[in-house]
Amino acid sequence: MTTKRVLIIDDEETIQTVVQFGIRMRAGWQVLTASSGMQGIQTAQAERPDVILLDVMMPEMDGIDTFKNLQSHPKTEQIPVIFLTAKAQTVEKRQFNELGVSGVITKPFNSLDLPDQIAKILRWSLPL
Amino acid sequence: MPKRSSKQSSPSRNPKLSQSRQIKDELWQQQQWIELFSEVTFKIRQSLQLKEILRATVTEVQRILQADRVLIYQVFADGTGKAISEAVLPEYTAILDLEFPQEVFPEEYQKLYSEGRVRAIANVHDPSEGLADCLIEFINQFEIKAKLIVPILQNSPAPNEAHHQKLWGLLIAHHCDRPRPWGEFELQLMQQLASQISIALAQAQLLEHLEEMVEVRTVELKDANHNLQQEINDRRQAEAALRRNEEQLRLITNALPVLIAYVDQQQHYQFNNQAYEDWLGQSPVNIYGSHLQEVWGEDCYQRMQTHVEAALSGLVVTYENEIVLKGDRPCSISMTYIPHVNEQNVVQGFFALASDISDRKAIERMKDEFISVVSHELRTPLTSLHSALKILTTGRLGTLSADGQQMLEIADENTERLVRLVNNVLDLQRIEAGEVTMEKHTCSATELMVQATEAMQPMAHQHGVKFSTQPVNIPLWVDSDYIVQALTNLLSNAIKFSPQGGTVWLTVERHSSEALFQVRDEGQGIPANKLERIFERFHQVDSSDSRKKGGTGLGLAICRKIIEQHDGKIWAESTLGQGSVFSFTLPAQE
Repeated sequence: MTTKRVLIIDDEETIQTVVQFGIRMRAGWQVLTASSGMQGIQTAQAERPDVILLDVMMPEMDGIDTFKNLQSHPKTEQIPVIFLTAKAQTVEKRQFNELGVSGVITKPFNSLDLPDQIAKILRWSLPL
Repeated sequence: MPKRSSKQSSPSRNPKLSQSRQIKDELWQQQQWIELFSEVTFKIRQSLQLKEILRATVTEVQRILQADRVLIYQVFADGTGKAISEAVLPEYTAILDLEFPQEVFPEEYQKLYSEGRVRAIANVHDPSEGLADCLIEFINQFEIKAKLIVPILQNSPAPNEAHHQKLWGLLIAHHCDRPRPWGEFELQLMQQLASQISIALAQAQLLEHLEEMVEVRTVELKDANHNLQQEINDRRQAEAALRRNEEQLRLITNALPVLIAYVDQQQHYQFNNQAYEDWLGQSPVNIYGSHLQEVWGEDCYQRMQTHVEAALSGLVVTYENEIVLKGDRPCSISMTYIPHVNEQNVVQGFFALASDISDRKAIERMKDEFISVVSHELRTPLTSLHSALKILTTGRLGTLSADGQQMLEIADENTERLVRLVNNVLDLQRIEAGEVTMEKHTCSATELMVQATEAMQPMAHQHGVKFSTQPVNIPLWVDSDYIVQALTNLLSNAIKFSPQGGTVWLTVERHSSEALFQVRDEGQGIPANKLERIFERFHQVDSSDSRKKGGTGLGLAICRKIIEQHDGKIWAESTLGQGSVFSFTLPAQE
C-alpha cells in the first residue's frame, strides 16, 4: 500500500506537531499542516491529501464552514474529512454525520493511535 | 252622721207623729246608708291594691256603724287565721296581725260561713247565742260585747265547681262598750260590702296574677335580651378576631416574594396574594374566580395541567416551569401544590406556592457552562500533552536514564488520569444537567456485551485477566453508546481489582420485562457499609489503593446516572476477600 497523505487543519500548533510525530512514528505516513480554515482549503486544493483531519473549533472560519467549503469544490469534494472535536455526544455526532463527514475523533486523543482510528473509520486495510 | 238608734227614744208622745217621725228617720237613715254605701264602694273601688281596699273598708265601716272595732280576718287553708286589716278606737286593743289558732274558728263554723251565713250577735254573753266557752274567753280578752260577722266569699278557681264558693275571710264588727242589736240595714250593708270586697279581691288577685306574669315575662325578656347581647358581643369579637387573622394572613402572604394562591376543585382561583399583581400585573381582585387557564394562557396551562390534576387527586406536587412576568420578562419558577383535604378525605382544592428560581437556574447554567468551557478548554492542551508523552515513551526519540524513564512514566500516567477525569467530569455534568438526550433505539444485549468486551480486551490482556461472557439475544430499547460506556466502566473496575490470572464474568438474563446484567470479579471485595456509597461522586472504596489503579471516582456515579436515565436500577453485592458482583437492570422489549 502506498503511503497515505494526511492533512491536519488545526489552529493549535502543538496539536499539529504531535499529530505529525504520532502518525509518522506509527504508520510512516506523510503529514501536511494548516493553521486555519482558509489555509487548509488552499493546501487541500493544491496537495489533494488522502484524508483531512479537521478541528471544529477554530476562530474566523470554524470546522463546519471549512468543511462545507471543501465539499463545494470539485478538487476537494471527494477527500474524506474527519472532525477533531471536544464534543462527542450522540446528538452532535449525528449532526456531523448528517453534514457528510466521514467520522469524528474526540479530544483528548493519543496521536499515535490516529492511523488505526483513521483506517478503521475509512476502512483502509493497514499493513500489519 | 246618723244618730245611733236608741232604745231610749220615747214612744209615749203623739204616736202618729212619732211613727211618721220614725219612718222619716228611718228613710233618712236609709238614704244615709245608701249614700254611705256608694261612698264606701267608691272608696273601695278607687284602689286595685288589696291592702288599700281592705283598709278603706274597715275604716268606712267603722265610721258608718260607729263600731268600736272593725276588722277583716283572713282564713288560711290549715284552719288558722289572721286579722289583716283593722280599724279600732284607740281605747281598745288591736287585734291586727295576731295569729289565731285553729280552735278559735272550728270547722263547723267555717262551713256555715262558707255558705254565706251572717252572724249577728247583739250580746256575746247571752247564752242563747250559743258561743263556745273558749270563744267567750277569747272574746272577754278583747272586751267584745257585740259582734257582727259577715263572710267574704271567693269564687273557687276549680273549673268544674262553677258555683262553689270558698271562704276567704270574715268582715267583723265589734262593739266593746256595751251590747248592741244590729239593725237590718247594718246587716245588709255589711253583706254588700263583703260582696264588694269579694269582687275587689278577685280583681286584686287578677291584678297580682297579671303583675306576677308581667314580672316573670319581664325577667324572661331581660334574660333573653342579655343572652342576645352576649351573643352579639361574642359574634362581634369573633368577627374582629377573624378580621385580624385575615389581616395578618394578608400581611404575611403579601410580604412574601412568593406566589400564594388557593384553587378550588373546579380549578378556579379563590385566593391570590399581592405577588400576583407584582409579578403578573393581574390584581387578586381580578383573578378571583377565574380558571387557571384564563390567568396563565393556554401554553402555560398545558404544562401545568397534569400536575394540577395530580394535586386534585390528593398528591403533593412540586415541579419547575417557565413563565412570563409582566413586561415580557421570562422567569423560572418552582411550583408546589398542596392538596386541601377535608375531614371526609375529599379533596376540596389545593394551595399553590411558586417561588422564583431564576437566579438559581442562572447560576446552574453558568456553572454548567463554566465546567463545559473549562473542560473543553482543557481538552486541547491535554491532547498535546498526552500525545507528546506517549510519543516520548515509545523510546524512538531517544531513551532516557532509568530515573528519566521513571519521570516520564509518572508524567504519562498522570496525564492519562487527567484525560479520564476530564472526560468523566464532563460526562457526569452533562448527564446530571439533563443535557444529555439519550437516543434510544432497539439493540440486542449481545451487541452491547460484545462491544464492551472488545473495547476492554487490551486492558484485560495487560492485567492478565480473562473474560467469560454469556451473551443472550435480549432486545432492548436503549442508547447503546451509553450502555456500552457503563459496561466498559464496570469491566474496567473488575479488571483493576482482579488478581493476576483471574476471571471476570459478564452475563445477562431475562427476568419477565427486565434484562439483568451482571459483572463478577474475584477481587478483594467491598465492605458492606460502602456498597451504597461507592456510587457517589468521587467516592472510592479505598482511596490510596484506587489512585494507584488510576480511578477517578466518577465512573460508578456516571454508570448510575446512565442506568437511571434508562429507568433501570444498579447495585453492588460483595464478599470481602472473595469478590464482587455489580448488577443493573434495563427494561426489555417484547
